[in-house]
Amino acid sequence: MRLTDWQLAFEAHLLNDAPAQDHGFAATLRGGPSLDVDTGLAIYHNAYRARLLDVLRHDFSAVRYWLGDDEFAALAGAYVRRYPSEHYSLRWLGERFATFILEHLAQEHGAPLAELARLEWAFTLAFDAPHGEPLTLADMAELPPQAWPGLQVAWVPSVQQLGCHFNSLAIWRAAKDNGDFPGSHAVEPAQTCLVWRHEQVCRYRTLEPAEASALTTMVTTGGCFAELCAQLAVTYAEGAPLQAVTWLKQWVQDGLLQYRAA
Amino acid sequence: MATSLPFLGYGLGLRNEYYEQILEQSPAVDWFEVISENYLVQGGKALYYLDAIAERYPLVMHGVSLSIGGPHALDFDYLKQIKQLAERIQPAWVSDHLCWSRGNAHQLHDLLPLPYTEESLYYVAGRVRQVQDVLQRPLVLENVSSYVRAKADEFCEWEFLNALAHLSGCQLLLDVNNVYVSARNHGFDPWTFICNLPPQSIRQLHLAGHRDYGDYVVDTHDHPVCDPVWALYQQTLAHIGPVSTLLERDDHFPPFQELLDELTKARQLGASALAGRALCA
Ligand SMILES: [Fe+2]
Repeated sequence: MRLTDWQLAFEAHLLNDAPAQDHGFAATLRGGPSLDVDTGLAIYHNAYRARLLDVLRHDFSAVRYWLGDDEFAALAGAYVRRYPSEHYSLRWLGERFATFILEHLAQEHGAPLAELARLEWAFTLAFDAPHGEPLTLADMAELPPQAWPGLQVAWVPSVQQLGCHFNSLAIWRAAKDNGDFPGSHAVEPAQTCLVWRHEQVCRYRTLEPAEASALTTMVTTGGCFAELCAQLAVTYAEGAPLQAVTWLKQWVQDGLLQYRAA
Repeated sequence: MATSLPFLGYGLGLRNEYYEQILEQSPAVDWFEVISENYLVQGGKALYYLDAIAERYPLVMHGVSLSIGGPHALDFDYLKQIKQLAERIQPAWVSDHLCWSRGNAHQLHDLLPLPYTEESLYYVAGRVRQVQDVLQRPLVLENVSSYVRAKADEFCEWEFLNALAHLSGCQLLLDVNNVYVSARNHGFDPWTFICNLPPQSIRQLHLAGHRDYGDYVVDTHDHPVCDPVWALYQQTLAHIGPVSTLLERDDHFPPFQELLDELTKARQLGASALAGRALCA
């Protein structure tokens, strides 16, 4: 048997649901004095599954908290069968877990569970995203008055924005606090939630609709500070610049923003 | 001889569980070994601590996903990232395992054994040379624990390691625990394995714990080092002289002081083995 064929047979053994019944591959192996081939193969087979399950349990601890260990293990097993790992780093194993949940489960259970999985994944993305160059209040203080109207900002690279149609944050918090499951229900209207990293700590918060809309103007669509003030004038009249500065200060303190590249 | 390779002393595997304590206590650890893949990221806590620890301690990079013997093409993008990380933290050397961890299509995330055949030997040696060309340094390869062997084997494992070092110029990371685990599982004499390796190629040792199931042993890195492995370690040092030694722990993390105590034991047993060697010389 050529090396490649032997390795493909080994791979097929690991990916099989149960240790292979077809002993063609086992016949190419030699056991030890008290470790037979089937036991040896089972050690590899179990280790493969256990390692992947461990990573998913860690990265999706709130989904596991909701489902319980057994149901989570079944879901995770189905996931790695459907989407075997393709990145050398296990850090990326869960990349398609939320998508898979939507494909795999009925809508009424799948939609809130997938949203929770997406929220947890957002934390993993924020955790090791590039640092960027977060603006500080000191930077703002040094900005000359004539530069304010044209000021343009962008998210720091770690910021993840999620639209939450369910009480996923409440479930996530209950999981972190090891509290009672709060039940799953829709929230109306949907909330915008930000997840990001500030000074090496992952943070999150939900946005009121007015603040979310201001961030869309200023950050997502790249409007300048003068445009934000003009938009706010509709609601806040002459108080618009003050409201704009208040929010901007908050966003800068939170470590959400950097200068928009020219 | 082994003494011509740099001797870093006694080190610990760097694990995130201990980042803060390392920076706060500056423990008497001579060096740290880092899992390369954990730091192939663009930012965040891991890189932050890595940079801080790199300023205070010598580091060695230890990879788990090179898959030097795998059936796939070498991942040059991965190698480029390894090289960039090496430029960032200036490790004393870069290691991975003599194994394969990726199949034809998928990542298998395990250190799978190779058949020890001439075909494997020339295949792996060619790939080692390619990796060394990219990294511009010798690759250090570790012997893995195994639970099956191929009937097709034409060499025993130490003969394969010897031939590979000779053909490719790679160096060896001798995991004493892995020798013990494989020796128990496959029924060979661990000392025959070790004393037949080329001493001048052994750059580093690993010490770790395992789980003993009676009929077989599984390499778990979640226990303290056991007595037969300590004995083998002393015998190894007495045979080849000072070699940089690293204590691995990857699960069931004890309080940091317990690992430091175990490292002290490695240091003391190492010193007495080396003193005995000097007397015999
Ligand atoms: Fe090891």
